[in-house]
Amino acid sequence: MGFFGRKRESVPPHPRREPRIALPLSLESLEQVFQGTVDFSKRPVQLAGDGKKILTLCYVEGMVRMERVSDYVLRPMAQDRELARLADMKDVMRQMEEGALYSLGVERRNTMDQAVGDLVAGNCLLLFPGEGEALSFNVGTEEKRGISAPENETVLKGSRDAFVEGIRTNTSLVRRHLKAPELKIREQVVGRQSLTAVDVLYIDGIANMELVEQTQAQLSRLDIDALLAAGNIEEYIAGQTSTPFPLVQYTERPDRFCGGLAEGRVGILIDGLPLGYLAPGTIGDFLRAAQDKSSNWMVATMLTALRYICLMITLTLPALYVAVVTFHQEMIPTRLALSIISAKRDVPFASVFEVLILLIAFEILQEAGLRLPQAIGQTVSIIGGLVVGTAAVEAKIVSPAVLIVVAIAGIAGYTMPSQELAGALRLWRFALALLAGAAGLFGAVMGLAALVCHLAGIESFGVSYLTPFAANEGEQVQGQAVLRQPLPKTKLRPAALRTKNKRNQG
Amino acid sequence: MKWKIAAAAVCTAALCGCGRFDLLPYARELDGMALMRTLGVDAAEEGVAVTASSGTGSGGENGGGREAEVSGRSAGSISACVLDMQAEGASYVYFGHVGQLLVGESMAWERASEPLEYVLRDVEMRLDTQLYIVKGGSAGEAIRSAAEGSSAADQLEAMADGAGMSGWSMPRSVGDVLADLERCGASFAPALTVQEGLKMDGYAILKDGRLAGWAEEDAAEGIHLLTGQADADVVEVELPDGGKAALRVVGAQSRTRAVFQGEELKGLQVLCRVDANLAEGDAELRNRETLEELEKRLVEVETRRIREALVLGQSLDADFLDLQSAAGITRPWRWREIQEQWEKWSELELNIEVQAHVERSYDAER
Repeated sequence: MGFFGRKRESVPPHPRREPRIALPLSLESLEQVFQGTVDFSKRPVQLAGDGKKILTLCYVEGMVRMERVSDYVLRPMAQDRELARLADMKDVMRQMEEGALYSLGVERRNTMDQAVGDLVAGNCLLLFPGEGEALSFNVGTEEKRGISAPENETVLKGSRDAFVEGIRTNTSLVRRHLKAPELKIREQVVGRQSLTAVDVLYIDGIANMELVEQTQAQLSRLDIDALLAAGNIEEYIAGQTSTPFPLVQYTERPDRFCGGLAEGRVGILIDGLPLGYLAPGTIGDFLRAAQDKSSNWMVATMLTALRYICLMITLTLPALYVAVVTFHQEMIPTRLALSIISAKRDVPFASVFEVLILLIAFEILQEAGLRLPQAIGQTVSIIGGLVVGTAAVEAKIVSPAVLIVVAIAGIAGYTMPSQELAGALRLWRFALALLAGAAGLFGAVMGLAALVCHLAGIESFGVSYLTPFAANEGEQVQGQAVLRQPLPKTKLRPAALRTKNKRNQG
Repeated sequence: MKWKIAAAAVCTAALCGCGRFDLLPYARELDGMALMRTLGVDAAEEGVAVTASSGTGSGGENGGGREAEVSGRSAGSISACVLDMQAEGASYVYFGHVGQLLVGESMAWERASEPLEYVLRDVEMRLDTQLYIVKGGSAGEAIRSAAEGSSAADQLEAMADGAGMSGWSMPRSVGDVLADLERCGASFAPALTVQEGLKMDGYAILKDGRLAGWAEEDAAEGIHLLTGQADADVVEVELPDGGKAALRVVGAQSRTRAVFQGEELKGLQVLCRVDANLAEGDAELRNRETLEELEKRLVEVETRRIREALVLGQSLDADFLDLQSAAGITRPWRWREIQEQWEKWSELELNIEVQAHVERSYDAER
């Protein structure tokens, strides 16, 4: 036991095995791999009723669609006498691969890793006696959630489709919005146990290829057990975990995703997640709503400016209140000061504790509202916000001024289009309130300076996080963060993305 | 990591006041304070007597108003009085919200600059505090008298807000007065009298840090005209047919020019344009002769007022309206001569030209 705690035990690294299954491709090997697995099935099949030519069909129940197996694989095998006439199994295999069976997707597999991967993905495997190879047919089930309207990104004017869990459905949605053949989709498998397909999308000729390669490289380095949650990939590919601020933008709207690709960003789709990621993400991106491009440019600019104002309010209002009430009373207009004094009379806590108590209560209420079913969540919010809040004020536990300050700060935080950004601001709000409680405006300003330094030190895929407020590699990048120009005048793509083709209009 | 924790521990210790380092400011909760709104300073045997008053407040526990609290101390200096007040009671007496500084007449005659410099130097007091000189009485008496009805702060704030509409003396801040005294050695501040509450009564003329005299009635109106603050003055004039008309002055603009004879500064020409409306009376403005007669009468009145104000300044040898700068602005190429010869400004000839314009009547038919 050292002064700074228990010394950590060194755990040796656990490198990935290549190949994963070091066995020859055969029925016995498959049985060995799937031993004790109830959904693994095999079925011997006679070729056109010839008892001497028996193939073995393997599949995982629930992953394949039985009608397809029966119609596209079993029926031709049972009925096609030409296949039975072929003496050599190699010829049979070649014939089937070339079209004797009706399945659209067929692949020849010669390793256990490939074969097992296909079985789990929903293919059926046809094993030939005496051969070290197998044919894999795409007969997977398509039991997926249908495409519906986005739940978390409100659409007023725009397409109402949203990403679903199936990656191929999602790539098809992207293809429907961006029909250009230059749209490239590269795929990698990530996760030792989950074997999740991750697609990198970009438009060839627009996207910066360095950015594409960097994204690919980040994904290749990703060696985790399972890629199941969004955080799994966000924290790994962004490369910086020492910040609460989001570094990649996500959306459930294919039109917004495609807009990002057309701007020159790189998109990432993950099998199993109804979201699309766009990289890089700068602070301006997280303050723009999907609706902005559908709104009049003046309205959109006003709303964006409002969001920046709300950002400052949610971040600094509790800290400013604590600072002026505790240290800088001369800054408060006299009548307001008298009103605060009157309201705060008999409240036993110092202002900073009042603010911290209410901020924590606010977080608890929000968390409770999120975790409960919607109807109960609303009830909790009403009880917490109105009943408990009013009772706390009447019981002189907190003063009404603090309640108003925290409520305004909380509501201002809800205007952030990105919940991740709002979460990061909430963390810094606590820190600033504490600093203001310790050193007044000096502390709050020092905290804000630290925040600016922190943000200035962050990069998302090589792009400064404060773009276009900050320079990149000493070079000022032009762009509008707050002002949205009329679209006919926005002829250039964001310069910070360093796209190949810089113009987006003729 | 260890270094970071150690550095954070050292910073925390220093910021919290461990050892000899106490870097953090001293926190003081707002609800533990008694906010003083008005400060009065008078001459006393010990040195000075300071009277402080809170406002009536904007709501007590039941939503009603609180009575103004008045507290007074005498000591050798204003700081000692203030410190003595802060030591009394559980609440910290806070002077950061003092909006009005009242100086008693005796104090003003002896050393009016002392409370002004206190405001300048004190960490809590503000330079935008309004200054009033109590005419014929003490500041303490004025504050206590006002507290019997509401509070001095409430009454003075109401008068300051309504000064533009009522023709009362315009409020002046301590900062303005100090700047005037620094720039031209003289200034002016509203004068107060205590008559069933507080009343505005012209201006006090300050010179070299002391009260030099009073500007009353016409002289006070002249100050309004020369400073362009005659927004709500009503002038009653006789009509040619024997009737009366009330002209409401709605604006005035003045310019001052230095008059030279060769290189010698001989006089001051004051040009003033006065705009007025016919508020009452049977005068027919469409009649050119009537209109000219009204304007002529208005010119006479306003010329007299301006002359009163200027003559007062010359008699006190106090350029409280900073006419030197005004003359210099209109003749910047002769600024050096104006500066060199300004010491004889009280002997300069005054040439006052007033242009009066009666624009309209409040009666649409006239």
